[in-house]
Amino acid sequence: MNVVVCVKQIPDPAVPGELDPQTHWLKREGKLILDDSDAYGVEMALQLATAAGGGDVTLVSMAPNGETSGLRTALAMGAANAILVSDESLKGSDALSTAKVLAAAIKRANPDLVITATEATDGYTGTVPEQVAALLGLPSITFAKKIETADGKVKVERQTEAGYDEVEAPLPAVVSVTAGVVEPRYPSFKGIMAAKSKPVDTLTVADLGLEGQVGAANARQEIISVTPAEERQAGEIIEDDGEGFQKIVAFLESKKVI
Amino acid sequence: MDFTESEEHALLRDAVAKVARGFGHEYFQEKTNSGGKTDELWDALGELGFLGVGIPEAYGGGGGGISELAIVCEEVAAAGCPLLLILVSAAISAEVINRFGTEEQKQAWLPGLAGTEKMVFAITEPDAGSNSHNVATVARRDGDVYRVSGTKTYISGVDEAPRMLTVVRTGTDTATGHAQLSLLVIDTDAPGLERSLIPVEIKAPEKQFTLFFDNVEVPADRLIGDEGDGLRQVFFGLNPERITGATIANGVARYALERAAAYARDREVWGVPIGSHQGVAHPLAQAKIEVELARLMTAKAAWLHDHDADRKAAGEAANMAKYAAAEAGLHALDAAIQAHGGNGMASEYGLADLWGMMRLLRIAPVSREMVLNYISTTSLGLPKSY
Ligand SMILES: Cc1cc2nc3c(=O)[nH]c(=O)nc-3n(C[C@H](O)[C@H](O)[C@H](O)COP(=O)(O)OP(=O)(O)OC[C@H]3O[C@@H](n4cnc5c(N)ncnc54)[C@H](O)[C@@H]3O)c2cc1C
Repeated sequence: MNVVVCVKQIPDPAVPGELDPQTHWLKREGKLILDDSDAYGVEMALQLATAAGGGDVTLVSMAPNGETSGLRTALAMGAANAILVSDESLKGSDALSTAKVLAAAIKRANPDLVITATEATDGYTGTVPEQVAALLGLPSITFAKKIETADGKVKVERQTEAGYDEVEAPLPAVVSVTAGVVEPRYPSFKGIMAAKSKPVDTLTVADLGLEGQVGAANARQEIISVTPAEERQAGEIIEDDGEGFQKIVAFLESKKVI
Repeated sequence: MDFTESEEHALLRDAVAKVARGFGHEYFQEKTNSGGKTDELWDALGELGFLGVGIPEAYGGGGGGISELAIVCEEVAAAGCPLLLILVSAAISAEVINRFGTEEQKQAWLPGLAGTEKMVFAITEPDAGSNSHNVATVARRDGDVYRVSGTKTYISGVDEAPRMLTVVRTGTDTATGHAQLSLLVIDTDAPGLERSLIPVEIKAPEKQFTLFFDNVEVPADRLIGDEGDGLRQVFFGLNPERITGATIANGVARYALERAAAYARDREVWGVPIGSHQGVAHPLAQAKIEVELARLMTAKAAWLHDHDADRKAAGEAANMAKYAAAEAGLHALDAAIQAHGGNGMASEYGLADLWGMMRLLRIAPVSREMVLNYISTTSLGLPKSY
């Protein structure tokens, strides 16, 4: 079974991000790293391919400046190859443009299954997975916390507010996974050394036949202004008069964690 | 000259950092405070091939060198988990066996060391100390075996390793009276070998022992390389030990500066972060410069050792790196503690408990004075006083 994983390469979240004062776009000039939330998808894909008795995991990424650092991390985990779309004209792409690019790149790999994260860590609309599925004309399942494939179908436990739904779709399909779907492996030294020579196919917008359809000029959204997030409010302090535990239980229930 | 880190090195650094930071200094503290071992961390590193990066692929290793091992060792220390046994096991023992061992010896021991097994290293003696010409632990050839008698001291990790690379005297140079040294791989549970724990004021998982060899029988095929050639072989292994010793200081220094900078950005006493007072900022900045210089020399020393072109230059660089890293590390840890005020002494802030480790690095694996002696005579051509 061949699996494509969409992975985003993002500025290191440990370094405070910066917005371009004119365009309000996130600056992505330095080295980019693999978005942690995509490590789950990569791991899931590797496990599913192994469980299915083999097949390749192909990474698909759109990133500026031919950036491959984040891809190498995922290749070191065990992915077989990668398709990178890098093009100056993609600057300022909105979610739909991104989805068009990813969908066109995914088509080239002709996968049995496409895995994405639910949203990226650096700028999240959380809409790309569904858009990719729609553009490819494939079923879309979101918020997977468990995935199995068998008999040409994908079975998913889909996280909901109340618990989870059991959902099924015929393959190929696009499934977005939550953090925690599996524990991502650490790349081993052998994996790191092998990653060096794994193929990364770098494509432009023209290669994908998407000229005039993507990038800032074709974005359907524009960032008008940006305001800093409100400071977090201080937490609620409860005096324990012997009944404190009840309030804690009620609070946890209201957050749906128990 | 290219100073950008290669993609593989950056990935290795990142992967090791992730693993080690997953454990972190609190884990290290909890283990050292309870007298436990950091086996989970060691095993995690070993299973991913990080402890065997320098061992050839033919023996199950990563096929890299000391440059890669230095990255591993530094990142683990930078996560607040300095592991001394990397020095004796991966740096000296594996390196010496790989370089001087027979094919059978390599097959026997390197695959284990490429995984999670440890081999410790014993040279120091109560009466030989910094002067290895005086090594008095004697190995006498008796048919198919050597019989070893004598005492070693401050040997780390003997309780954690099945075998120990041991420097023994197999003869005496009649002209100089200097020991003719040889290297034997000795089982740590060999009959006739007793050990007693040396209590030390270092908070670390590995323990030190004095070892008493009473006619310990060691099969002759445990000899590494040629009999009497031990000093040259040990010297080859000491460079990696110095380099990795330097990386422990560099790593702990980075850890301390990271913590101190975070604290100084946050803590306010006069309405502004204390880091805006130059009295707090400058010692940290100065330490940062010293640590980066030490890291540069450490990387150079590792490169020279791996490229094996100029052994004298490699030796000088390894000694300079070890010296610079220990001094920079002590300044950095001291500045970090000072920036924390009273909290610098609190267990919770995880700094003062590393002082013993950092202070050790000025003494071992080679003392500051012996490094200065080496540079005086080797690099400056000054006469020897001893
Ligand atoms: C925690 C710990 C772990 C250790 N682990 C190991 C291990 O695993 N294996 C191992 O073999 N050893 C180990 N050692 C021993 C360590 O390598 C030695 O302690 C170190 O090399 C110094 O030797 P010494 O203690 O005999 O000092 P000495 O040689 O007695 O020196 C004492 C002092 O005199 C100075 N000095 C000596 N000669 C000169 C000179 N010619 N000129 C100027 N100054 C001089 C020294 O620098 C030092 O300051 C360990 C030590 C410690 C404390």
